[in-house]
Amino acid sequence: MSHSPIAPPRPRSPNIQIYRPQLTSVLSIANRISGGILAIAGIGLVAWLVAVADGPQAYSAAQSALASPVGRIVLFAVTFAFFLHLCGGIRHLAWDAGYGFELRAIYASGWAVVAASIVLTLAAWIAPLFVTW
Amino acid sequence: MLSRQMRSPFERAAGLGSAKEGVEHWWRERVTAVALLPLTLWFIVSIVMHSGSDYAAFVAWLKMPLATCMMILLLIALFYHAALGLQVIIEDYVHSAIKIPALVLMRLSCFGLVAAGILAVLRIVFGH
Amino acid sequence: MIIRSSNQMPRSTLLKRFPLPRNLGLTRESRIEPGRKWRAPVEAKRVKAFEIYRYDPDSGRNPHIDSYEVDLDDCGPMVLDALIWIKNKIDSTLTFRRSCREGVCGSCAMNIDGTNWLACTRFISDTANPATIYPLANMRIIKDLVPDLTHVFAQYEMIEPWLQSRTPEPEKERLQSAEERSQLDGYYECILCFCCTSGCPSHWWNGGRFLGPAILLQAWRWLADSRDEAAGERLDNLEDPFRLYRCHTILNCTRTCPKGLNPGKAIAEIKKKVVERRS
Repeated sequence: MSHSPIAPPRPRSPNIQIYRPQLTSVLSIANRISGGILAIAGIGLVAWLVAVADGPQAYSAAQSALASPVGRIVLFAVTFAFFLHLCGGIRHLAWDAGYGFELRAIYASGWAVVAASIVLTLAAWIAPLFVTW
Repeated sequence: MLSRQMRSPFERAAGLGSAKEGVEHWWRERVTAVALLPLTLWFIVSIVMHSGSDYAAFVAWLKMPLATCMMILLLIALFYHAALGLQVIIEDYVHSAIKIPALVLMRLSCFGLVAAGILAVLRIVFGH
Repeated sequence: MIIRSSNQMPRSTLLKRFPLPRNLGLTRESRIEPGRKWRAPVEAKRVKAFEIYRYDPDSGRNPHIDSYEVDLDDCGPMVLDALIWIKNKIDSTLTFRRSCREGVCGSCAMNIDGTNWLACTRFISDTANPATIYPLANMRIIKDLVPDLTHVFAQYEMIEPWLQSRTPEPEKERLQSAEERSQLDGYYECILCFCCTSGCPSHWWNGGRFLGPAILLQAWRWLADSRDEAAGERLDNLEDPFRLYRCHTILNCTRTCPKGLNPGKAIAEIKKKVVERRS
């Protein structure tokens, strides 16, 4: 019925090309992208542990790489991805238990995830200044 | 056997029937997520508290039994959760013949990374 | 901004569409080309532009966007009124489904300004300028704004949407308490317009195997019905990595339902039942 040998196949209407980005879909894809970033960061974690195991020289090489400007930007991005995925994950766990499905709750919890991620990322980066001073 | 082009809409929708499984993956993704809540927060807090400490202080901290245990559990839970999540991503977006090899390769890579990570932790704790 | 119900229009729009090429990923026959401009009658005072997706299967051309100017003083307040005005006064080849004109039949479901809704319950004054009208997202198009719903209705047939019981038929009704009947509220009202299913990104990528929110909401309607005795078989039929578990709680469905229903919640209830029967 769909692929008659005579008539050309029917076109498909556009989807992501024209659909409006909404808090629902944008936070969902952000949760997935942050998860992917964290999976790559996991590789970095293992590499860093191997550097620690390899002795003080490897460790200081790894630490100076992390302290470089590029390293700091990467670490900041990973921290933000982590907190976004953490807060988004908690929101998902609440949904899995059956809570928070009314539209008002969906939007309130969504904005709360965005705010909490930003606040926690900044806190995680400001706190070491208080530890080391 | 009807050719693929001549299947009825119902047959096309029904496909090969229900797999009658799927909850195991869903459940384990949630259990590992719950496990990761305390483990990752412990890790972040520890890293923040140890910012500025030198190599010897860090190794001494990791040698503490609680820290070693948490780090190993973190690696296991992290890569199990990552494997489950990446499996869903690959199933969602890859529909060609490379789907199965990609799934296998991803899962074996996660196993390899867990092994490498745990080995590194054991070397730190028991080595030198 | 907190959205309280699905018919609430966003006060501001950061992004009207994702910054992607307009023809990204579309097959050769789906690529959209520019179309022609149709002007309103000269005497029209209040004029609004509508950009509408057109496709003529007999022309051999690709789909294209035609721009129409509508005389707002001459047509009713709803988007469907504008479409009917265009068909009557400007271009009689414009094709779309419609029936009840009051939001209960689901025929005129289409994508208006980026979100799926019923044309007969969307006020023209709530649309952008120009208003963009596309068919329901990710559907095979028969003509203009008419999608081919064969596949989604086949998926509906697959979940066996009828009462199944071993108990022999009673003389009168099958008894159900008021509280049991209230379990169906929010699910039986679905008009199968498929706004939710065609707005679900997971259904876009896996619509061949993923049932989608509309069908899963109906599946829950039958699972929640106290008179139905086939819950085990229904759950067997649903528990599949693709049929049910492609739902990642994106919740575009609940956001877009023109009847204010909550497919996301229904799917969460199904998942809870699947866990319940094995723990």
